[in-house]
Amino acid sequence: MRVLIQLRPSPDVVAAVADPGATATTADVADGLPGVALDHSFTPVAVPRPVPATGGDPLSLNQALTFSLAAEDATVMVRGEISDDELSTRLTLLPALHRDVVGVFADPVIEPNPTCGGDGPVGDWHDVERLLDVAGLGAEGMDGSGVALAVLDTGINTAHVTGRLGRDLTLDATRSWNPDGVHGTPGGFPVDHGSMCAFDALIAAPRATLLDLPVLLSRRPGGSALDGMLSDAVAAFAHLRTVLEAQPAGSRALVITNSWGSFSPRWDFPVGHPGNYSDNPAHPFNLIVSSLEQAGADVLFAAGNCGRECRDSRCAYPDRPITGANSHPGVLSIGGVDTAGERVGYSSQGPGRLTSRKPDICSYTHFSGSGAFGDREPDSGTSAACPVAAGVVAAVRTVWPASRLAPAQLRTLLRRTADDRSDVGFDFDYGYGVIDASGVISSLRRRAARVA
Amino acid sequence: MVLVTVRLAPRATLEQAMRRLKLSEKDVDTGYGLVLIDPGEDLYGLRVSEAAARRIDPSAGGGPYADPRIEPYGPPD
Repeated sequence: MRVLIQLRPSPDVVAAVADPGATATTADVADGLPGVALDHSFTPVAVPRPVPATGGDPLSLNQALTFSLAAEDATVMVRGEISDDELSTRLTLLPALHRDVVGVFADPVIEPNPTCGGDGPVGDWHDVERLLDVAGLGAEGMDGSGVALAVLDTGINTAHVTGRLGRDLTLDATRSWNPDGVHGTPGGFPVDHGSMCAFDALIAAPRATLLDLPVLLSRRPGGSALDGMLSDAVAAFAHLRTVLEAQPAGSRALVITNSWGSFSPRWDFPVGHPGNYSDNPAHPFNLIVSSLEQAGADVLFAAGNCGRECRDSRCAYPDRPITGANSHPGVLSIGGVDTAGERVGYSSQGPGRLTSRKPDICSYTHFSGSGAFGDREPDSGTSAACPVAAGVVAAVRTVWPASRLAPAQLRTLLRRTADDRSDVGFDFDYGYGVIDASGVISSLRRRAARVA
Repeated sequence: MVLVTVRLAPRATLEQAMRRLKLSEKDVDTGYGLVLIDPGEDLYGLRVSEAAARRIDPSAGGGPYADPRIEPYGPPD
């Protein structure tokens, strides 16, 4: 979090800061505040002291005041950043550890309104191809060939996706799976959210083999037209474990993209109840996610569309909207940025409920792509960001199966190489940063050289 | 309906789960069946009515667990 830190250094330093003819720097005023990454490009600012009239209340700003920039009265403001997950500790400790610290204040980002739902597309999928260095991935042989990429969603319409991509795709009907009561042929479902996800996954992994698992089409009691029940996802993951275990142990490669979640605590047991899902790692779905990840699958979940700036109207969690498996320690939780690299306002912020440090990374969304919702409608939501990232993971798996690079190692690699959008590593807006395929390629080259 | 869990031998069937939990077909979502959750623990899951879940002996099965509605994360409104 960006912060402004108010200090009361020695009067000569205050005088130097207040003097427009002098050039006091942040280092002159405040070097070595523990846990604070100081912004040395920021010129310290002298803050005048409000002085009430004689006999006035020294603590009230609601009275006639004069303001003193005298060296013995004024304070100095510098700018810095504190890691989000250390914020409360640092705020408590700073004044105790550094006697000059008077106060620490939020320094909110002032910027144009972020991209929100209903806004037009920002760039198109060819921009995403460029940003993901798909040509570079392809040159390394990382195109998804032979990698199973499971799309758990509303079903895929292959005719639509191939038409929009302008190239063929591979979908394996044998290893696809329908929930009980869902009828339809893999790849033959109506054009909807699932087709968007399939299209977006194939941007970085054009030769991946899609598996179609329309879990959001469930007609199980309690469901509706375009949602499902978590139990269908449990069953889908159980099916995918058979898919994974049927692969030779030395070349396992299964990527699972999940652009869905639970919007409301209304459908869940309360937090603290042993049967709760949102905050409970012992829930059967969270267990099966762990089990599949340990068996070698890469599991990605969208972080959700409950970002503070323009949250989806369905968002009903009052805080910490990255819930359940979307915040699981064994998955990559994907936030969204537009093709300008700016976080979209609806992308859910951490901390997560099962793991605090969520989202893990951000990927691209809100671009003109599949046209699944109409020619002029963008592929949007963290729903699009998740399969875009899953495509990068599938591309990597072409050359680096789980036996060579375990899912946990690949997650670490993606976090470490992400384009950091803050000064201190992780933050709850962008996670570790924006996915950087070029950085991944370089890192894997070094790793390959070490292994050789 | 809710999810419950039960530990059974490898390659267990729904009928075996129902016997262990003392449930009848009307208590259970038979279309959903029996799902292997964790092969390392021989842990299975099934979908049952809330009333049936309340009758299950805690020494025989785990739960009940929530089976919340899930929805696509897009497009945002």
